[in-house]
Amino acid sequence: MFITMQEFPWAVIIIVLPLSGAMLSFLFPRWVKLLGVLVALSVVAAVVGLGWQVVEQGAQRYAIGGWGAPLGIDLYADGLSLLMLIVTALVCLGVSVYSTGYFNRAYFRRSKANYFWPLWMFLWAALNALFLSSDIFNLYVTLELLGLSAVALVALAGGADALTSAMRYLLVSLLGSLFYLLGVALLYHSFGSLDIVILSQQVEPSPAVWASVGLISIGLLLKTALFPMHFWLPPAHTSAPAPVSALLSALVVKASFYILLRMWLEIFPVGGTALGQLLGLLGSIAILWGGIQALRQTRLKMLIAYSTVAQLGYLFLAFPLGSYIAWKAVLFLLLSHALAKTAMFMAAGNILHFGGHDRIKDFDHVVQYQPLTSAAFALAGASIMGLPPSGGFIGKWLLLEAAIHSGQWWLVIIIIMGGLLAAAYVFKVIGYAFTQSRVSHQTRRVPVHMEWTALVLALAAILLGLAAPWPLALMDIGLPFGEGAAG
Amino acid sequence: MNTVYLYTMVGVGLFTLGLYALLIHSHLLRKILAINVMGSGVFLVLVALAAPTQGAVPDPVPHAMVITGIVVAVSATALALALVLRVRTETGRAELPEEPLE
Amino acid sequence: MEAISLLPLMTLLQLVFDTLLGFALLWLAWRALASPELFQAIVLFIAFGLLMALAWVRLDAPDVALAEAAIGAGLTGALLLATLARLEVKNRAKSELEKKHEVRVITEKSKHQTFFFLLRMLLFMVVATGLVYAVLTLPENTSGLAMPVLENLESSGVSNPVTAVLLNYRGYDTLLELSVLLLALLGVWSFGGIPKPYRSFPGPVLNMLSRLLIPLLIMVAGYLLWVGAHAPGGAFQGGSVLGAAGVLLLLVGWRLGTRFVGLPLRITLVFGVGIFVSAGVVFILLGRQFLEYPPSFAGVLILLIEAAATLSIGITLAALFLGGRPEFRRHK
Repeated sequence: MFITMQEFPWAVIIIVLPLSGAMLSFLFPRWVKLLGVLVALSVVAAVVGLGWQVVEQGAQRYAIGGWGAPLGIDLYADGLSLLMLIVTALVCLGVSVYSTGYFNRAYFRRSKANYFWPLWMFLWAALNALFLSSDIFNLYVTLELLGLSAVALVALAGGADALTSAMRYLLVSLLGSLFYLLGVALLYHSFGSLDIVILSQQVEPSPAVWASVGLISIGLLLKTALFPMHFWLPPAHTSAPAPVSALLSALVVKASFYILLRMWLEIFPVGGTALGQLLGLLGSIAILWGGIQALRQTRLKMLIAYSTVAQLGYLFLAFPLGSYIAWKAVLFLLLSHALAKTAMFMAAGNILHFGGHDRIKDFDHVVQYQPLTSAAFALAGASIMGLPPSGGFIGKWLLLEAAIHSGQWWLVIIIIMGGLLAAAYVFKVIGYAFTQSRVSHQTRRVPVHMEWTALVLALAAILLGLAAPWPLALMDIGLPFGEGAAG
Repeated sequence: MNTVYLYTMVGVGLFTLGLYALLIHSHLLRKILAINVMGSGVFLVLVALAAPTQGAVPDPVPHAMVITGIVVAVSATALALALVLRVRTETGRAELPEEPLE
Repeated sequence: MEAISLLPLMTLLQLVFDTLLGFALLWLAWRALASPELFQAIVLFIAFGLLMALAWVRLDAPDVALAEAAIGAGLTGALLLATLARLEVKNRAKSELEKKHEVRVITEKSKHQTFFFLLRMLLFMVVATGLVYAVLTLPENTSGLAMPVLENLESSGVSNPVTAVLLNYRGYDTLLELSVLLLALLGVWSFGGIPKPYRSFPGPVLNMLSRLLIPLLIMVAGYLLWVGAHAPGGAFQGGSVLGAAGVLLLLVGWRLGTRFVGLPLRITLVFGVGIFVSAGVVFILLGRQFLEYPPSFAGVLILLIEAAATLSIGITLAALFLGGRPEFRRHK
């Protein structure tokens, strides 16, 4: 009667845990911090359980309600979703620990601090559900859950900037979802199924499929903030509370990219290659534009937000290449960016918290007062730039290899220029971290664990590069990117 | 011209109309109305295409999807309206500034 | 004989009706979005929602029609009007500076060049034509999932196929959707500082009416919940009617007693999702799949989950209408 370990539904647990956590922390605001950390730890354990299953038995399919697709909804976990879940678990564990210090009642209104936890756990549940879903309508619901919780979290910061950017973010998010949903409607009525695998077997080119490819792509690109649809991202990611900025830049924009990637790999091969070239071009512009804008910023959080715009551009360079190595390269970049960007925003949060501002020119001996935070920023910066042996280095190296292999030299130039721009803006910040400010500051103490969390995540981004063979091998489980022999 | 395609085209019309209004209006309440009209358009496409042509049973799955969609839409609308009130309190206006922050 | 000869006439009449309804929908939507007065715009939008409900009926989707009338037109309309009322209250205190600003915006807009206007219109025409073309090429007579839904209806525990999809086959979607609703309320509460609705002093008519209507609405909600198993209706329709009763209560000035504002209220709000998740997890422990109900008591279970959901949906919708979080009033 009772289930064995081999078939224990870890995938469901990964979704149910943060969902229950959200409800419990809404019911019992007194225990939010404890609940937050407990849920984070148990989700990490559940992800390990799922990972073990996937490694041992290959890609997992789970029919919710026992019906199975197309009638029911299936969960699906292969190497791609597993890696997304692992990085989400790591980032969220970090955010959890960091937030116990950040949302301290001493300087955050208690009512606001209490709402952070349930909202954040809803966001986490949405992310996990999204990475595991195999059903395109279910993905719509998870997208909405994700979008609304992200908006509420941005608004949590209060003040005119945060509220207006939350409003803009909400409108963009809803617009993107509706485009996506119309695309889903066309796909459903073309093939009578919502399951990605079934659709991938049945799909054949038709005007309705092209229209849905266009609609779904526009909707998801809007949410992923690909240039020129990035306008909403910098203000939203800047004005949010630091742990929320970290979540948004590291994970939330990647979630819509993940859906796009899945669709592109499974359903859209009929969509034609011209769209791939266009995405690559937009990605290239994003890298350059984001980099230049980041360099021009005077405030640290804004700089990091524009850096996200640039780094998201890299993810789209795989579309014109379309090769096995290129996909693996961008997934690797995505993972290392998630870790590094979380560390960066946390470091920025620490600096902001310590000195009361994040104006780069007015930094006052940051290195001396906050050595751990400075180290975290520098290490994360190394990964963003793509210095060896970081995760960012491996990702860019693979991407360069793919570009050279296919003879698309313009992409090689873009990748190198993007790296140089990143180096310029990272060093700009580090340079000011050593200087003395002419303005005197009133400083506040930053809890030590907030500094350590940033440093550990930055180290994880570096370690990812050292342990590269392991995630690269995981990516092949279930063959999300096809056979590698050709690549 | 049958019912199915008629309502589907009305749905597409509502979607585009809402999109247009969303982009040109600056008052947030109007933007929210526009999003809702767009949503109704999408729902109409979903259900209209599922309608039976000759006395057969309609496909209930899109119906369920639309009911889900309506509930999601009212949730999003409620959140958006509360946000409008907050934006109004903080900035004195129920519009978004032209220039994003900076 | 008579009946047969009438058939073409009937189809023609239906076609005329559908065409008129279609145009009315587009016209109302356009007027609602273009109307200079916000109040008028919202009223037109509510009318649009009611016509949408009519369209759902024409499309053989009575469940959707009920949901649309209650939620799409009713509660969304109430929310919009409540928001407008709160915006207008502050409007009166608007400073001269803001008024000047508004005038400036208007004059700038009138300078908009017609070229860009035409370009934009052209672009939208292309988009709409492209979509219509794509839709027209869709294969006709795809029954979608109608067959598998009906074939498994017996083991789903209910005989209304839409309820079967919502609560059984795709129950997981519904679970997440209930989470979205709860999340929206959490979000609204987290904003804080939402201006209170002006205290309304209900006239005797509203008072009388509400005394009649509220029990009726609660009964209707219960009926819809019960009937959803085999006829149009269900948790969302029932819940929204319950929500309407709550809105009416709030309108006549009723407020939740201080004792219930804290944990009891929160428990009621979480109840729907909570029961749903617990039901799913219990079956995992019993060796079944998540949310896999045994056919023998699937019907009872679905009714139980729906009852919990109805209660939570109703209370959540009413709370959304109230806006800010109900306060504790401390005794001094």
